[in-house]
Amino acid sequence: MGLLSIIRKIKKKEKEMRILMVGLDNSGKTTIVLKINGEDTSVISPTLGFNIKTIAYQKYTLNIWDVGGQKTIRSYWRNYFEQTDGLVWVVDSSDLRRLDDCKMELDNLLKEERLSGASLLILANKQDIKGALAPEEIAKNSGQQAATALLLRCDCASMTLLFAAAMTATVYSTLHANSVAVMGSAATLHHYSALLTT
Amino acid sequence: MDDEMEKETILDNKEAEAEAALQKKHLSMLDRLSKRQQSRSTTSTEPSTDSTSSFLSRFSQLKSSIESHLSDSQSLSSDPSQLKPHFDKISESISDLEKLVAQSSYFLPSYDVRSSLKTVSDLKRSLDCLSSELIPKKKFSFKNKAKASKKDQGSVLPESKPVRDSVQPSYVARDSPGFRNKTGEVLVGEFKESEIGEFTISDLDSCEVRIIGCIRALFIHRLKNCRVYVGPVTGSILIEEAEGCVFAIASHQIRIHGARRSDFYLRVRSRPIVEDCNGVRFAPYCLSYRGIEEDLRGADLDAETGNWANVDDFRWLRAVQSPNWSILPENERVGIVDISNSESMKEEI
Ligand SMILES: Nc1nc2c(ncn2[C@@H]2O[C@H](COP(=O)(O)OP(=O)(O)OP(=O)(O)O)[C@@H](O)[C@H]2O)c(=O)[nH]1
Ligand SMILES: [Mg+2]
Repeated sequence: MGLLSIIRKIKKKEKEMRILMVGLDNSGKTTIVLKINGEDTSVISPTLGFNIKTIAYQKYTLNIWDVGGQKTIRSYWRNYFEQTDGLVWVVDSSDLRRLDDCKMELDNLLKEERLSGASLLILANKQDIKGALAPEEIAKNSGQQAATALLLRCDCASMTLLFAAAMTATVYSTLHANSVAVMGSAATLHHYSALLTT
Repeated sequence: MDDEMEKETILDNKEAEAEAALQKKHLSMLDRLSKRQQSRSTTSTEPSTDSTSSFLSRFSQLKSSIESHLSDSQSLSSDPSQLKPHFDKISESISDLEKLVAQSSYFLPSYDVRSSLKTVSDLKRSLDCLSSELIPKKKFSFKNKAKASKKDQGSVLPESKPVRDSVQPSYVARDSPGFRNKTGEVLVGEFKESEIGEFTISDLDSCEVRIIGCIRALFIHRLKNCRVYVGPVTGSILIEEAEGCVFAIASHQIRIHGARRSDFYLRVRSRPIVEDCNGVRFAPYCLSYRGIEEDLRGADLDAETGNWANVDDFRWLRAVQSPNWSILPENERVGIVDISNSESMKEEI
């Protein structure tokens, strides 16, 4: 009981979250961030550095860092590990051939000491593409225990709320002792957002 | 609310291990949060501009010291035995500088982070250039890099390549639409009515591929001496490992990794990128078939953006032209390629 109240006390003041969004190149990170922010996504070049977007969700402020995923610049990811509350790992669910690369890069990230306190959200992107792997399969391939990974079925369409709710819920559920698996249904996410407003 | 949250507790007894890991993670997060809380309350009186400006002055100090060391290199070049430790030292200072940026990145305005990172990568590149210029290239440059990377413990250096021992991907069995494992064939696909999802072209030798109609995402992997003519792709194209090929492709995004001696005729809305490429040349899209105008319009690719020439080389982020790619001279371009009459050769996919 003591633990929970401490958590709540800290969390009350802790309304700003730093979210690091990484994944292989072409997985859709920039598209997602721009969509979330309601910006034009018709011309997006592969990211050479990074973008930062701030979105407000209920009483939370999410600072989202979108970092380029080309092989040459993956080594820069570590520049952003410090102070990260939530890690969003974006997967192109239609890129079957690079799933192994994808897993290897994620495994490397999760070994990072500096990320050990951060929550993990695995985003199975491009679900609209025929032939894409289902979120459940992506989770299995990532080798993630359902209890720590949260999956979001997503096709980049009007996802601001969904994303913010998912992210907040992920960070929140790490703080809260029972990290419940949430399997990509909007209903579950609404449940979480209801929890968070109270 | 508390009761409700308590009810959420789902403990799978089989996953005690996961639970323990979670507990640990949970504690480390708490620890971090409370530390952060403290540091925030002690520094809150200090306006953030102060820390920004102190960062910037510290940064520029370190930067000029590195620059002056770099410019000393020429004078040392008479004695190769001194060069190596000299460069190692500079490399160390650059990673310290990078660490400083990383540590400060959470309070710095994004512009400052970006320009600082740019400076860091420019310094790294100058160092790379100087060392390859002044230290005679050995056959095994790998050794140098391995040594340099020791300086920066636990971090991934740009040079470190992921080790791929087995090339066998886990989902190879799944039959997604594509052309695979062929030699010396003409492969024709037509998707006039229905738009297709992802399409894969892989492991071809001396083939010609013709695809009429729209695709959402295209993956190309391991082609040798092939010609690839493809209608508009509404999402992105990813090409990995191609040698001696000609591509006529149109897409919103194009990423080319590990291609050599190949020509690319592109129509693309954003800037195409190359990584680990060599001898690749670029020209505007040159494909034609009956109804291509309509398909291009439908895919928002009817306008020539001129981006076929705006190639970014991720291995060469400098103002001077990358040696890895060039514009294909006009007199060497193929002219319009018409694939309208491919029907007769159509193959079942
Ligand atoms: N069909 C489909 N395409 C998507 C989706 N999300 C992104 N894309 C496409 O995927 C391609 C890559 O998207 P980006 O947002 O540039 O990917 P990125 O992860 O930022 O890539 P880097 O900056 O290179 O790391 C683009 O062509 C997008 O249009 C999606 O949900 N569905
Ligand atoms: Mg991007």
